[in-house]
Amino acid sequence: MPDIGKLEQLGRRNLLKSGAVVSVGLAAAPVGAFAQAAPVKIGHIDSTTGNFAVLGDSQIKGAQLAAKELNAKGGILGRPVQVLVEDDAGLPATAIDKAGRLLNQEKVDFFSGSTSSAVSLAVSKFAEQNSKLYMCTGGHVDKLTGSACNWATFRVCSTTWILTDGDSKILVDKFGKKWYFLTTDYAFGHSEQADYTKQVTALGGTILGGALVPVGTTDFSSYLIQAKAAGPDVLCLLLAGDDQINAMKQITQFGINQSVAVGGALFELEQIAALPEQARYGVWTFEWYWNQPGVPHVADFVQRYNTAYPGLYPSQRSWFGYVSVHAIALGCKKANSTDSVKVAKALEGLVLPPEIALQPGAPVFRPEDHQLMLGMFPGSVNQQGVYPHLMNIFDYVPGASIAQPPSQTGCTLSYPA
Amino acid sequence: MLLDVIFNAFNGLIVGSFYALMAIGLSLILGLNGVINFAHGGFMALAAYFAFTLVPYVGFWGALIIAPLLAGAVGYAVEQLIIRRLYLRDPLYSLLATFGLALIMQDLMRTIWGAQGLPLAIPDFLNQPVSEVYFFVTGYRIFVVALAILSTGALFAVLRYTRLGVRIRAGNADLETIAALGVNIYLLRSANFVLGIMFAGLAGILAAGQLGLTPTMGDSLIMPSFVAIVVGGVGSLLGSLLGGLIIGVASGITTAFYPAASEVVIYLIMGVMLIVRPRGLFGQEGLFE
Repeated sequence: MPDIGKLEQLGRRNLLKSGAVVSVGLAAAPVGAFAQAAPVKIGHIDSTTGNFAVLGDSQIKGAQLAAKELNAKGGILGRPVQVLVEDDAGLPATAIDKAGRLLNQEKVDFFSGSTSSAVSLAVSKFAEQNSKLYMCTGGHVDKLTGSACNWATFRVCSTTWILTDGDSKILVDKFGKKWYFLTTDYAFGHSEQADYTKQVTALGGTILGGALVPVGTTDFSSYLIQAKAAGPDVLCLLLAGDDQINAMKQITQFGINQSVAVGGALFELEQIAALPEQARYGVWTFEWYWNQPGVPHVADFVQRYNTAYPGLYPSQRSWFGYVSVHAIALGCKKANSTDSVKVAKALEGLVLPPEIALQPGAPVFRPEDHQLMLGMFPGSVNQQGVYPHLMNIFDYVPGASIAQPPSQTGCTLSYPA
Repeated sequence: MLLDVIFNAFNGLIVGSFYALMAIGLSLILGLNGVINFAHGGFMALAAYFAFTLVPYVGFWGALIIAPLLAGAVGYAVEQLIIRRLYLRDPLYSLLATFGLALIMQDLMRTIWGAQGLPLAIPDFLNQPVSEVYFFVTGYRIFVVALAILSTGALFAVLRYTRLGVRIRAGNADLETIAALGVNIYLLRSANFVLGIMFAGLAGILAAGQLGLTPTMGDSLIMPSFVAIVVGGVGSLLGSLLGGLIIGVASGITTAFYPAASEVVIYLIMGVMLIVRPRGLFGQEGLFE
């Protein structure tokens, strides 16, 4: 009996020893080292519920695909990348709450995300106060890289100025000079309307009026009565998320789009897909499109996205998310550090390589305001198209050619001493 | 400008009758079951998704009839499993339970049908304006108003002339007494809850026909119905109808002058009503006093 006891003991010890050997061996192997290195954590704050849930979801998918691809190629500086997603429900207060949690509990290295402009402004402020770099994925308000800019904030998606300038001339030339706005009543809409007003007036147009529509409005009938009474050439829709879908449906039901041209800045693949055929129309500025024949790497990216998310095509939101994570990685690589200040300095003037830019131009993060000079794809909705063939792209307009010059954005950057 | 105001007032009537239709179910359940059903919006959306799934098989009209029945069946299960256990407790419990239920339902719908908005196809002949001038009067909106009037009328008749209706009204007035008289009040409350949910379902499908489907569609629809009930008076169907019309028209006319306030104005009306006459226009005394 005691023999057996001894044997057992030996067995256990041997087991422990061999276990130790195995784990040391694993640690020595490069894969194991990678898996055990402390991950580089990106806190991605975005909408998975609320008015922007569908758009936020695409941004998250793009970001996660980028992380997966980075990890397959050695991550960031030999450390794995982790994208930690938190839901902001489209609300700045919730976003700040979640940002605090990501920072204190998860000790994230960087922030990314946001679909709502209001959220992006809040997160930007939070990131600056806590000295963490924030790669804004999808909040468009001018101010973020304008009067409210800061050293910690970079932005992948366009400003509302770039967005509106992408098609303002096309809309005026094609449809007319008398404009009426239906504008979502928060930072994003206000910013868009101010930009269009400047651009259209400069082109000799007149603004007949406009209505500010609260976020989450479902019934647009009373606004549409006002709009129609004004008799505009162009009914400019500056709404976001599900609101825009509801408005476009009712415009069709009332037959308004038969006598008035409808267009605006932002209209997205996800939104068009959610509309019945008769409610798909208008001229808009798209920020990215999956179908760019002849542009290298794009088809390959679409295929990888398809494989990762069967049945889905990348939208501009997917691209924003994808670029956000890759841009952080590029910054880290150039700085050879994950320190936010160093990475921010490295990102200034960084040009996106073609396999990440995925467009004819080579967008650069402008050093003066940290805004990515991405190109615009003005176009119209392909009414009879079947998903994902929902857009007719007219043109590609390089971002730098239409962005406000740095002297006019009102941005001055200063780094912490 | 005058034409503008008239248009907006007229349009407000259409919107208001839809609010009223949504409010009826809520009002029924609040009256007899004593439950502020926060999951009402969830049931609206659920019925609409049922309809979306059914349309390819039974068409729009078939779905309009079957989907509310299915929602009613889910409502029955919910009443049996959750609501029934809370009747004897403070109303706060059922409010919290239905609030939680609303969140669960929303996430379930997101999981099953996706967060992406879906269009609910309605018959083509309904989907156009009836005249060039009154472009905002579409066939569909006329249909919605007609259905709101019809269902309110039918419900009124049921409550007035049938045994079930008489009992529901009696239960509203004094539940203990009718229980003592031998009426099975648990069964009565179940039936009433299911009826309320079916109205929610009908309203949800009609809303989806105009707005399309999203898991969160109930959220934005349910607030005006609460306001309509408070303004019109808890427990009074006529009150809910009138409350819906009042806030619809007020919101419409406000748009003509100051669009940004069109949302706020309905809450202003509710606030004033709560101060001046807390029971609402036709409400029973005591429920909110």
